[in-house]
Amino acid sequence: MDLNASMVIAASGMRAQSSRMRIIAENIANANSTASTPDGDPYRRKVATVKSDFDRDLNATLVQSGKPIEDMSAFRSQYDPGNPAADKQGYVKLPNVNPLIEVMDMREAQRSYEADLNVMEATKSMLSRTVDLLKR
Amino acid sequence: MVAPLAGVAAYQATAKLGSSTAATGAAQGASSSFGDFLSSAMKDAIGTMKQGEQAAAQQAAGKGDMVGVVNAVNQAELTLDTVVAVRDKVIQAYQSIMQMPI
Repeated sequence: MDLNASMVIAASGMRAQSSRMRIIAENIANANSTASTPDGDPYRRKVATVKSDFDRDLNATLVQSGKPIEDMSAFRSQYDPGNPAADKQGYVKLPNVNPLIEVMDMREAQRSYEADLNVMEATKSMLSRTVDLLKR
Repeated sequence: MVAPLAGVAAYQATAKLGSSTAATGAAQGASSSFGDFLSSAMKDAIGTMKQGEQAAAQQAAGKGDMVGVVNAVNQAELTLDTVVAVRDKVIQAYQSIMQMPI
């Protein structure tokens, strides 16, 4: 049934957004994770990807979270000679995470999740009001 | 006034509708009764309820996801609601036939 399918589709969207949220949480939590040696790399920012996925049983296109890709932009560097990860000039490589960008991404994930929640709510009320016709 | 035979025809139509939409293969056509329809629909509802319960148990054990639980329980609730509404409606019809003064 179409309404049941739209519930499943909205649920797949919610799953995709939660895995995106998980990656944003990783990025924010690791915003200051440095390497332990001077030649090592610090934490590299990850970017969540989503892809569409056609479900034959349901005859509908669901959304699925893809493999997260790494952001290859340059690392930040900070003068901190006391740090064990500092190079000869005293600079430490910091992750290429920009908290502002992460917060914006988080908002976007939140809004998409809320949109899916609204789809679910509307679908459920359509279904249950149809059943209510029988009850009078 | 509605002809009495029209009511009987409507009742039979409901029973036929049940036999064609019920998931488990009850005998099709005139031979299947409303009881068959109700029992197969009930089995269907119990099946979805069990799925919801399983999902909830998995979530409690730390496996499975919240969205799956909500979806399964929602589905179970809607199936049961539909079956109960149809049952109430048909029992109501049956009772009004039984109370007919002859």
